[in-house]
Amino acid sequence: MITVKGFSYWYPGEEEPALEKIDLTIPQGQFCGVVGANGAGKSTLCSALSGFVPHFFHGEFEGEVRIDKHMVAQTPLGELAGEVGLVFQNPFNQIGGARFTVREEIAFGLENLGLSKKEMETRIAEVLDLVGIEELADRSPFALSGGQQQRVALASILAMQPKVLVLDEPTAQLDPRSTEDVFSALRGLVQRAETTVVMVEHKLEWLADFVDRVIALDRGRIELDDSPTKVLSSPRMVKMGIGRTQYTETAAAAKRGKLKLRPKILPVTLDQARTFFR
Amino acid sequence: MQRSTLFIQGDRGLYRLHPLSKLAITGFLLVAAGTAPNLSLLLLGYLLLLLPLAVWSGLLHPFLKSSLLVITPFVISLAVIQGFFTPGQIILLQLGPFTFTLEGLLSGLTVAGRILLALGGTLLLMLSTRPDHLMLSLTQHGLPSSLAYIVLTSLQIFPRFQDRARVIMDAQQARGLEMRVNPLKRMRLLVPLMGPLILGSIVDVEERAMALEARAFSRSGPKSSLIVLRDSFPQRALRGLLLLGMLSLIAWRIWAVFSL
Amino acid sequence: MRLRWENISFTYPTGVRALDDVDLTIASGELVAIVGENGAGKTTLVKLLNGLLRPDQGEVWVGDWNAAEHSTAELAARVGFLFQNPDEQLFERTVRREVAFGPRNLGMTEKKIRSQVNAALKAVGLDAQAERHPYDLPVSDRKMLTLAACLAMDDPVLVLDEPSIGQDAAGRARIGRILRDLHTMGRTLLLITHDLDFCAEYAQRVVVMADGHILADGPAAQVLAQNEVLERAAIIPPQLVRLAQGLGLPSMPLNVRDFVRVYSAWRRKKKKH
Repeated sequence: MITVKGFSYWYPGEEEPALEKIDLTIPQGQFCGVVGANGAGKSTLCSALSGFVPHFFHGEFEGEVRIDKHMVAQTPLGELAGEVGLVFQNPFNQIGGARFTVREEIAFGLENLGLSKKEMETRIAEVLDLVGIEELADRSPFALSGGQQQRVALASILAMQPKVLVLDEPTAQLDPRSTEDVFSALRGLVQRAETTVVMVEHKLEWLADFVDRVIALDRGRIELDDSPTKVLSSPRMVKMGIGRTQYTETAAAAKRGKLKLRPKILPVTLDQARTFFR
Repeated sequence: MQRSTLFIQGDRGLYRLHPLSKLAITGFLLVAAGTAPNLSLLLLGYLLLLLPLAVWSGLLHPFLKSSLLVITPFVISLAVIQGFFTPGQIILLQLGPFTFTLEGLLSGLTVAGRILLALGGTLLLMLSTRPDHLMLSLTQHGLPSSLAYIVLTSLQIFPRFQDRARVIMDAQQARGLEMRVNPLKRMRLLVPLMGPLILGSIVDVEERAMALEARAFSRSGPKSSLIVLRDSFPQRALRGLLLLGMLSLIAWRIWAVFSL
Repeated sequence: MRLRWENISFTYPTGVRALDDVDLTIASGELVAIVGENGAGKTTLVKLLNGLLRPDQGEVWVGDWNAAEHSTAELAARVGFLFQNPDEQLFERTVRREVAFGPRNLGMTEKKIRSQVNAALKAVGLDAQAERHPYDLPVSDRKMLTLAACLAMDDPVLVLDEPSIGQDAAGRARIGRILRDLHTMGRTLLLITHDLDFCAEYAQRVVVMADGHILADGPAAQVLAQNEVLERAAIIPPQLVRLAQGLGLPSMPLNVRDFVRVYSAWRRKKKKH
């Protein structure tokens, strides 16, 4: 369980806080989406949940962030890494183990955790299956495409069996096919494990099918925090510069055009839109 | 990473040895190359030590090929330089004020022989040993893991830099930067080509550092290893002997210098 | 400026055959999107335009220039190219100097450089940041900076490689506006994008590529509705097209306004029966 209480954070030398008075409770096993315009604080929130704020980026903060019984500000990054996993945008920069094969790349984090060879082999096999990259196991991580590398990065983090998985725009640099592969892997994870997932995503039409809850950030504050349908269809999304899916926009335009449409709630997915317009 | 290492896959001879054993052999060859008193012993070392090791590991062809490409230029230029600038009696060639003597030639060949033996030994090590296995063997014996990581990632940097440099050249040319300029104007190209290479890399470094942290790299406590390096008592004994051999050769050389 | 690829084949030194006897003509002033998954040949195709790559077979024409007879730097006067990664070209101390780099290389007068730079910075919304160091800006702004640097060169042809990646809704809208303005000014625009919704909203004509071939080439509304073609190219159709097809609408709307129009007409027709 993630508990954030009155958390504010200033990057070193900055006057304005990147995050302001964040209050958040995310129960174990929830899949939470985070949206916001560029500069709203999404990446900072990811860093705060995984301990990079304050341990890596330093700066000033108020309030607390707690992951289960760990107070993030008081737990060194080396220890937090086993509890909270972070996957970010650039696939290539996450291939970091200086290893020859994907299998060894995945083992890198496990070796740092001091696991036995047997345990490592079990986890590697599990995670290759979970993420769907068995055929890549003996290939060089550097010879892979961006989408493949991103899945290797995801597998490497999942092998560490974190209680919380934080993803900062994991599909931003990927083409549609690779995006689909990454989302499938996440779907598999959610079905099989009790991991809490927090995912920052711009591709709103994908988000609604996955998440239990959406948090919208604007200028460092949480402005919306509710079910995907309620948040993603809110007109405030447009005001905050986040936008809405085409499904929602069309429905909103149709309603403005005084077409008689029964459902009151605007659709955010394809299926909802089809029902809305029928 | 494979692009920037010399390592070739194999399973015979040297490949079966623990990386530290290979390091010890190379160390011994380096010391031998430095302390051997004359050319014939150096050549003997090359023929009786290096070549058999290469054959035993199935590496003779790549070894000779790399030797030729890397070592030959050194050998030739050194032999020539030494030949011209070492004083001697028996003159072989006279070019204006420069005399090429037999003593000079022999001196040059001796230096060349040392390099051949030293580089040859290092080459064998690199052809038959995975850099990460070598680093692992060192960290298991006390080398800080951060240092090992730096060495390994440095090997990756060059191909990555090469790739980035190519893309940067493309981008700047597409902005009108003319590359076909005379050598005097070439300096002007430096900033738009090196600038993004360096600055862009710094941006990357921060992310890579984060990725390392995310894999618990800075965690205190012992690290384990997926790869198991096979060692044996005979190998440990061999390493001990080679170390002794190295120290003896060095001691003998120092004694030889002082007793003159 | 008219663009022509004539019987183009290209194989990379690694042996990958990126383009296989491709033939394509783009008329002056068109706004064309090229779509397809990674490896389809889109980037290879456009890199032939400014000489970054040279075809193994065939000819590439930029207006009346045969690309083979000019260096990339020379072709930069006709073809502006927006690359994906800003950190692979930014090097100047200030945003302003960075944007001025291209125009200066092209030999513009100081006066023209100043006006081009100001206009470009204004268009991308970075005029207030003109004196800052490029690497002090967040990455989405650095992308806008490279767009400004490209715009300032005032080329008749512009190639944009994934311009909307990493941008939020405001950024995408701004880029879309810039595209529309350039189109109105008569520039020839090539847009490479994975974002089919962005493509649907702004492109007139869509070229679908896969495995070094062109699978489809025509008006956006037509091409984006060809499901089998899009599937072969591993592309997901735009949201509105999927919705329209799901409802059985008679024509494919590409933006919200068109959708409402088509939908209302369709509903009225249904009610009559």
